[in-house]
Amino acid sequence: MPEGKYCNKKPIETEEELKELLGDTGGKKYYEEMKALDVDSELLWKTIGNTLKSRTKTWLEICAHCGMCADSCFLYLINDRDPKQVPAYKIQSTLGEIVKRKGKVDNEFMHMVMETAWAKCTCCNRCGMYCPHGIDMGVMFGYLRGLCYQQGFVPWELKIGAGMHRIYRAQMDVTNEEFVETFKWMVEEYEEDYPGLEVSVDKEGADILYTVNAREVKHYPEDLAEAAILFHLAGENWTVPSSGWEQTSLSMFAGDWAACKMQVESVYSAMERLKPKRMVGTECGHAHRATVIEGPYWAGRSNGKPPVESIHYVEWLAEALREGKLKVDPAKRIKKKVTLQDSCNYIRNNGLKEITREIMSYIVEPGYFIEMTPNKEHNFCCGGGGGFNGIGIFRPQRNKALITKRDQLINSGAELVISPCHNCWDAIRDLEDEYKIGIKWSFLKPLLVSMVEIPEHLKPKE
Amino acid sequence: MYKFLTGPMFWLSLCICLIGMIVRFVLYFKGLSWQLDRVAYKAYPVQGFKGAMNSILKWLIPFGTYGWRKQPFMTVIFFGFHTGAILVPLFLPAHNLFLKEKIGISLITLNPVFADILTWSVIVSAFFLILRRISLPEVRILTTAYDYFILLLSMAPFITGLIARYEIGSYSFWLTAHILCGEALLIAIPFTKRSHIVLFFASRAQLGMDYAIKRGGMKGKGMAW
Amino acid sequence: MFKNILFATSATEASDHAARVAFNMAQIYDAKICIFHVLGVPTRGFSQLVMDVKTKEKVEIDDEYIAWVEEEIKVHYSKQLKTAKSFNIKVCVGFPHREILREARISAPDIIVLGGSTGNDEDSVYKNSTVGSTLQRVAKAAPCPLLVVNRPAASFWGGISKVVFGTDFSKASDAAFKFAVKLTKNRRCELNIFHALDISSMHMGRLLTQDEIESQIRESLRRIRGRYIDEMKEIKDYSFDVWEGLPYIEIVKYAREKHADLIVMAHHTQKSSNEDARLGSNIEQVIVRAGCPVISINK
Repeated sequence: MPEGKYCNKKPIETEEELKELLGDTGGKKYYEEMKALDVDSELLWKTIGNTLKSRTKTWLEICAHCGMCADSCFLYLINDRDPKQVPAYKIQSTLGEIVKRKGKVDNEFMHMVMETAWAKCTCCNRCGMYCPHGIDMGVMFGYLRGLCYQQGFVPWELKIGAGMHRIYRAQMDVTNEEFVETFKWMVEEYEEDYPGLEVSVDKEGADILYTVNAREVKHYPEDLAEAAILFHLAGENWTVPSSGWEQTSLSMFAGDWAACKMQVESVYSAMERLKPKRMVGTECGHAHRATVIEGPYWAGRSNGKPPVESIHYVEWLAEALREGKLKVDPAKRIKKKVTLQDSCNYIRNNGLKEITREIMSYIVEPGYFIEMTPNKEHNFCCGGGGGFNGIGIFRPQRNKALITKRDQLINSGAELVISPCHNCWDAIRDLEDEYKIGIKWSFLKPLLVSMVEIPEHLKPKE
Repeated sequence: MYKFLTGPMFWLSLCICLIGMIVRFVLYFKGLSWQLDRVAYKAYPVQGFKGAMNSILKWLIPFGTYGWRKQPFMTVIFFGFHTGAILVPLFLPAHNLFLKEKIGISLITLNPVFADILTWSVIVSAFFLILRRISLPEVRILTTAYDYFILLLSMAPFITGLIARYEIGSYSFWLTAHILCGEALLIAIPFTKRSHIVLFFASRAQLGMDYAIKRGGMKGKGMAW
Repeated sequence: MFKNILFATSATEASDHAARVAFNMAQIYDAKICIFHVLGVPTRGFSQLVMDVKTKEKVEIDDEYIAWVEEEIKVHYSKQLKTAKSFNIKVCVGFPHREILREARISAPDIIVLGGSTGNDEDSVYKNSTVGSTLQRVAKAAPCPLLVVNRPAASFWGGISKVVFGTDFSKASDAAFKFAVKLTKNRRCELNIFHALDISSMHMGRLLTQDEIESQIRESLRRIRGRYIDEMKEIKDYSFDVWEGLPYIEIVKYAREKHADLIVMAHHTQKSSNEDARLGSNIEQVIVRAGCPVISINK
């Protein structure tokens, strides 16, 4: 059977298709059909011919097989140094092999490729820093995922995720109306505590355009309220767009580049429509990567930048604290051992290591902040990056991968880990759930809300 | 035979090597695509150049990067191998005499004792590189016959050169073998993994630009390689 | 008065006493009752997987599963459902407090009846996911009165004859007072207004003399009169009392002594959201301890 009803090479185009695929609980039929899915070798080879150019070609060719990348990979380390987990091996045995065979690979091979691309690599890009030749295998795995997606060999959840972006321009079935309504609701809920708290939707020319992760809207809208409160207390002129508010991109994890383009263009068109001075995104790593770092290229912007200056939440927060727009009550600073999770997507891949530490210097009592080892751009992935957190069939592998972070946290001796990234936050919650090490975890927003001083004129009247 | 090897064959191999290297280098950069690689190379030439240089230079310094420091043994044999493999062919007194005779110029030359030490370090390091390939599972799994072939091809001129140097057996035979191996190596450079002689710089430059332009190089203190 | 009741339940025994009250109310007021159950908490990032609150297993949610849970609920409340004139069952996925509030915003009920705590069980699925209990969070933000039945002993709702209204003279308490008056009139019952003088925290470290206490009690009684008496003209039976002590203990004691059928109090939004809130504000302590249902009002 070449194409299945659920598992096929076609992206999801309609809400019905999406619902139907969602209805296939756990992707049972989907994966069953995948076993019979044909590989379109011709298309595969043609795509490679069009897209695999000198950078990747050279990477594949000059790899000296020296194995220096092995120790850089947390999945290699945590899986008892299994040689099959050496990054160079993982990419050579998949992408390298497809190229060598000119795309003539079979279904069984593609199953192996799928597992390698999503369960043996989180695209954390750490190996690229340890390769003398500068071969970034994370980047190649991102590319490989695109090939897999095209051929229909993609984990069920990610096929759905990419479909969500195609249908709703959000990673979950949250509509524009629901987003606006939820934001307003949250502001109403908190306006008694913070008189004058408001959210303006689609205000033109604001200083800040705020974009979020759909999960906040769907499951923990308090996050929206906290963002509003902090902007309010900082006296910012901010707004949210009624469409193009979703910053994340599961399609990036899925390798669905067309959907990536659609998603990021929805955000850019909001920027162009509302002409804010800047865009600030929520505390999410991959969202920032998708919208700010990779997005401009999907959208064909040759300067590699979004239409307006776009920054991560930590950059805004550091600035607000530095300039005194937000003041932390010294008595309320964190006085327990606390560490910081460096998200690969904006620390290693966007150089924000000093900014996050600057924030720590404002909110943690001196002497209580502990670094993990390794840290900053050399930090390990949380264990759930690149979509790993959400893929059911690779759950056992994911849980094993969490051990790296677990041990880093235990060794740091911290009681609290600040994790300004949704994916890391989830992974740490799951590792606590799985291994019970007694760690607490938090985003920055709730911590800040509990410790900033409220200016006299913004205090509630008794 | 000797005459052919030092005559037309010398010129041929040298040309193939040099032109080949240039072609590969140029093709590499011509093949870079800002949209496919998702790096706006042209938009930020200054930052890109700085990042590229930084990325190359840091890795040329022994123990200069986290990667090197993480693997001290590998670092020692790597630099033991490459230092000799680059300096000896270029700056050996005998090679320069030959050059002077051929094209009338000569480069600075190495002290002969130092040259001997470097040559031995190449061979000893190469021995350990092979040993490493055999003994470490994470390297063994990656290693193919081709890797050994390249390594032996690279070692051959040094081994034959040393034998000739110490005049073991027939000097003229080993000298001829040395020249043959050397020329084979030159020809192989553009067509095999040995192209990394230039592509190392290209690839490192690319990643350097990637980090400098796109992945945060313009924020904070930049990348700690 | 209560035409639309939102009964949020864990669909376990822990909610059974609350269920008695909820269905009882529905019968008395001829109300529509919505049985609302959050069956699972999302897990695994963006995936479709949730942690089932009852089995504590991770399950994939689909229509079939939801239908099955609805059926379970129907069976669990089969007896009571017969008494209800109009009911519907809603099952969803999410963090309970948020989903209850979301539902309350959409369906605008006249009162929310919240089922009992899922226990002190450390690995309760609900508790695992967020700081603070469902109760705290719903009470803080509910758009309508919230009725909580925590102890089995508190699960009586029949003819109400005595309502205790606990006040601390705040703005929120005024709202609670209005509700208490409305309820009292509606049920034609007795209203007991009560204030507890907090002698534990008000004068940190300093012991008050009995004279000081008594003068403050007099002052408080004056305030009660000044503040509330105008609106109580139509109420026949009422009383004022001010006791000194630990407020929540005094309220519970007072309610017991008065044989109250219901306690009405304001929820204070300002206090909470730090970790100490776990111990609970006064109202949370009252809820935990009271021998009758407690209604919390916040606006």
